[in-house]
Amino acid sequence: MTNPPANDGKPKTTENAAQPRSRRTFLKATAASMAGAAGLAAALKPLLALERGELTIEALLQKHYKRLTPEDLERILRKLEAACEKEYGVRASVRDIKPMAGAQYAYALNLSRCIGCRKCAHACLKENNQSRDSEDDIEMSYIRLLELDQGAINLETADHYYNPEQVPRENKYYMPVQCHQCRESPCTKVCPVQATWQEPDGVVVVDYNWCIGCRYCMAACPYDARRFNFQKPRISPAAINPDQSYLSNRVRPKGVVEKCTFCLHRTRQGKYPACLEVCPTGARVFGNLLEPSSEINYVLRHKRVYILKEDVGTKPRFYYFFEK
Amino acid sequence: MPRVVSFARLAFFGAASATGLWICWVGAGGEVSRKNPDSSRTQTAGQGSKREILQLPTVERSTASQPLTGLTSDTHLDMTPPRQTTGLDLVKLGWTYNCMECHKLLAAKWHYERPMVEHRSVRLEHGNNRFCLNCHHPVNRNAFVDYDGSEIPEPEVVLLCAKCHGTTYRDWNAGVHGRRNGHWNVSTGPQTQLRCIQCHDPHQPKFQAMKPLAPLRYPRRAPKPPPAVTPSHHGTAKS
Repeated sequence: MTNPPANDGKPKTTENAAQPRSRRTFLKATAASMAGAAGLAAALKPLLALERGELTIEALLQKHYKRLTPEDLERILRKLEAACEKEYGVRASVRDIKPMAGAQYAYALNLSRCIGCRKCAHACLKENNQSRDSEDDIEMSYIRLLELDQGAINLETADHYYNPEQVPRENKYYMPVQCHQCRESPCTKVCPVQATWQEPDGVVVVDYNWCIGCRYCMAACPYDARRFNFQKPRISPAAINPDQSYLSNRVRPKGVVEKCTFCLHRTRQGKYPACLEVCPTGARVFGNLLEPSSEINYVLRHKRVYILKEDVGTKPRFYYFFEK
Repeated sequence: MPRVVSFARLAFFGAASATGLWICWVGAGGEVSRKNPDSSRTQTAGQGSKREILQLPTVERSTASQPLTGLTSDTHLDMTPPRQTTGLDLVKLGWTYNCMECHKLLAAKWHYERPMVEHRSVRLEHGNNRFCLNCHHPVNRNAFVDYDGSEIPEPEVVLLCAKCHGTTYRDWNAGVHGRRNGHWNVSTGPQTQLRCIQCHDPHQPKFQAMKPLAPLRYPRRAPKPPPAVTPSHHGTAKS
């Protein structure tokens, strides 16, 4: 036996007995503590922005939208207006418009009539202040127009980038896809911080100040309806829509997810959404489900509607129908 | 004095229609096809100087005025109705949009082989509906005709279309055919609705194809990246 003697004469402490200090354990402990320190530094990094003046202590400690008092919210809205004027040179009015009582919105789209002119997708950009100024930037329109072959709804072979001289093309049909404002919305279920939720009028909204940018909701959405701000939005001042609201089209900060809100700053004031206003074919129908005489109820009663990806069980508030 | 003016107008109209007739007659001698009413103008311009003398002065037609669409606050949204109609040429010469100024002289006919003067661009391709007087009133040209021969005033043109397109009219009334603009909730503000003829040309009601707006750049997750635009292709597209 070549084992060292169990007791070399010194009194053995409990610590020594449990963890004999060797070179290996020393290095391990050092590495662990350095990693811990780095993590702590990373966690405290936002505080540096605080020191530089990019972030105020108020914004850092801002509560979730639902827990804000009216006075706090009012102060935040004014701050957002000031930030918009400072960064983009546009005097905007940022409001917080609450859901209308007795309103549940839904949307229907006539696929027989849509000709794929993309006017809705461009109007969405003009209305909702998405980042779009530079060439390498993605244009985050909430509407994607798919060109599909007639005879099936094959999303795998659908084309976003068709650009013929004239639309519609022979043997093709066009399907605009945007947020379906699902009743069983997977995106709100996966959010780890509850920064996205469904409002009483059915619109799924995002609190951009609460969103941490994990993009779980984007992965969960079966309709690819959410967009992520990889950078600070770049918009020319002339292109900014000054009619803004906290939960919809105010200029977003970097690193948050955004989505279609049925233009809630318009619809909650009784106006039609921007994509419907510009549709040259009248393929888009928007209305209040709780109002029996509304356009959307007429469609649901008289037309055969189709739900995109019905099998995933999201119960959308967005219906497609075919009818000349 | 008004009599003198109306006489002058009549004299001008006679001269204008005579010239128009002559152009049609001269044009018919060439290769003018009846299917393309604009070709007479372009062909005479492209050929010898003798015919250019005969040509009426071509003036840019302004777009006809249309009722307001949508809210005036939504200037950033392009809500133009799809069908853009042009004003009448004769209006520039002091004539009005009162059709009876000319048509009290011209008797109504069920069908015109070769529409003249202001109506040269009219080409009737409305399915089985092949006769002018199916829609136009035989006596009052400012109005349309109902089944029983009574007049449908021009602003209520929707009722004329509803004579045959009843189901479409039902949808239009419900706001599902055509387009409503402004406020969905009429208690909060005004609402406008496009009429049939703001999208469909009643003489060729088929909805016209149009140039799509430019493709947008979507996140990379989309299946096909946008094709790189080569300079040569760009040049041809612009020219």
